[in-house]
Amino acid sequence: MLKGFRSIFVKELKELIRDPKILIGIIIIPLIMFPALGAVLGYAQQSAIEQAQEANLLVLNNDSGNWSQTLITYLKAANMSISILNNTSPQQAIDQGLLAQYNSTQIIEIPVGFTENMTQYIQGNPQIKSTVNIFGEFSVGGIFSSIGSASTSAIVYSFNRIVAPDALSTTTSSIIKGEIQTNIDPATLSQLLLSQSIILPITIMILLTYAMQIAATSVAMEKEEKTLETLLTVPVDRFAILMGKLSSSVIVSGVGALTYLIGYSYVLGAAFSGISTGVGSSIDLVALGLVPSPLGYTLLGISLFVTLLAGLALAVIMSAFAEDVRGATALVGYIYPLIFIPSLALIYLDVNTLPLAVKAVLFAIPFSQPVIASKAVVTGDYLTAVLGIIYVTAFTIIVMYIASRLFATEKILTAKLKLRRGRIGRRGVERPE
Amino acid sequence: MNLAVNAEGLTKQFGAIRALDKLSFKINPGEIFGLIGPNGAGKTTTLRIICTLILPTSGSVSVFGLDPVSQASEVRKIISYLPEEAGAYPNLSGWEYLQFMSKFIQGDSKKAVAEAAEISGLGDRLKDRAKTYSKGMKRRLLVARALMAKPKLAVLDEPASGLDVLHAYHIRQIIKRYVKDQGVTVLLSSHNMLEVEYLCNRVALVNKGKIAVEGEPQELKKRYDSQNLEEVFAKVIGYA
Repeated sequence: MLKGFRSIFVKELKELIRDPKILIGIIIIPLIMFPALGAVLGYAQQSAIEQAQEANLLVLNNDSGNWSQTLITYLKAANMSISILNNTSPQQAIDQGLLAQYNSTQIIEIPVGFTENMTQYIQGNPQIKSTVNIFGEFSVGGIFSSIGSASTSAIVYSFNRIVAPDALSTTTSSIIKGEIQTNIDPATLSQLLLSQSIILPITIMILLTYAMQIAATSVAMEKEEKTLETLLTVPVDRFAILMGKLSSSVIVSGVGALTYLIGYSYVLGAAFSGISTGVGSSIDLVALGLVPSPLGYTLLGISLFVTLLAGLALAVIMSAFAEDVRGATALVGYIYPLIFIPSLALIYLDVNTLPLAVKAVLFAIPFSQPVIASKAVVTGDYLTAVLGIIYVTAFTIIVMYIASRLFATEKILTAKLKLRRGRIGRRGVERPE
Repeated sequence: MNLAVNAEGLTKQFGAIRALDKLSFKINPGEIFGLIGPNGAGKTTTLRIICTLILPTSGSVSVFGLDPVSQASEVRKIISYLPEEAGAYPNLSGWEYLQFMSKFIQGDSKKAVAEAAEISGLGDRLKDRAKTYSKGMKRRLLVARALMAKPKLAVLDEPASGLDVLHAYHIRQIIKRYVKDQGVTVLLSSHNMLEVEYLCNRVALVNKGKIAVEGEPQELKKRYDSQNLEEVFAKVIGYA
């Protein structure tokens, strides 16, 4: 064994393990964060399944024959809650607001001539097939939002296999913003959008954590290099010091974000190139109106910017309680779960389907807002994005006010966050000389 | 005539620790006044209160008639503070550091930088980043920074702290010459009695947050029948 290795190894281990900031950062927070994420995902899946089970299926029966009745009976037997309307086209159903009226997101249209075609097929004419048209209302939800349409398709498929072997073909279309987009499967569309929209929350996570590290370091570095005391005694506005630090952090982290974005989009481009030739080429998101408008992009940009400012101001406050750079980065680490959990959760969750309490918690975390905004602007829900911006701006102003108060008092020099016996307490004690 | 510093009954409480206990002293303009005492006596706390960094728990202090508590921004215009453990920005060159700090002083900043460069005696090394400086070079840069503002009151906490004989000598020379040329008032703290004796017109011995004794070095030595201030100090606190 290397001479002295054991002694150094044991000393390092002791130092690391005895630093409560490190202990909390690498052991306790993951132990809270991952179970919390697991619970969120489990809940998301469960609620999506429950919703799919509770959802009403609107059956537009435009065929008056026996086979349409057989299909409806089969659907009922599969525990589906259905409402039947006769002689109504899908577009009429959408235009008359029947989906909302019947609390439904899925339509099955049994077209005219269904029974006749089925009968001919059974009687030995395999060229003639019957068609059932499935329409799913598309929503910019979470990863499980396509469960509804997938389960409808699955039941029709099983009818096709069990009751009338291969007599039936289906078409699947999406209802996007009140219009039918023929032959676009909502499940495929959801997956495509998800793969594209995942880039934003991940970028937000990287950007915020990166920017907050920089901002926290800028104050902690002044403390570590012993330049802060001098700076605080020169005739310069303390708020100017704070703003100078925030602004430079914004620029550096902005450049960082840009390089991350370029690098990450390259990775995604390479990773999803196979998908885009298979699926993407047949689905044009721009034509479907599923990309944000210029106003949407602007709101998203503003949302990102104010959230970044909120994070930076928070990081500066946190770092005021640290004595050095290592302490500051560890302290800022405590905020990371507030960034990671909402970002990851909102990738998988449809925020509109959450219970009020969970929704309130997610909305209250400022770092959720850009992710919420990114989904809202796709559907043209600008109000949600604007309200989020107002909320984060108010939050930022409050945090900046606290930060400026902190800079204006001796707390910036004397405040320390001490972790003792597992309790976090603020102490204003410095070593007097 | 206004006193340069007038501290009356200064008390500072840090939790359960009383760092200053009704400390009072006066400094006349143009004086070099030394606060001397052991570690933890309250020297730095006193300087920090005068320099607007922390607030006294009770008592008052004025700097050329200004109150560091209610007129902090005015006080900052006429003082210059050199903390004991001050540093320079590691990624800025000495030159850039002086230029940066000169933006906050009253008067001609270019002239101030040129003067500071001369005071520091660092020559071409000013072009190098501060992280490449030795402790002595860094301290010389910081002393130059503190004096370039031509403050009415320069507050220097252990100006030659931790330096070798030559660097310490250089820094003391700078201070003494600068005070003579510019007529600034200096308040310095030190536990180096030789330094204090060499530099100060008057000294105050601080112990446990209080002024134990105050006077001119020569007069104190005579009063306590001592060879040097170290001996005076030991006698005052009852150690000898």
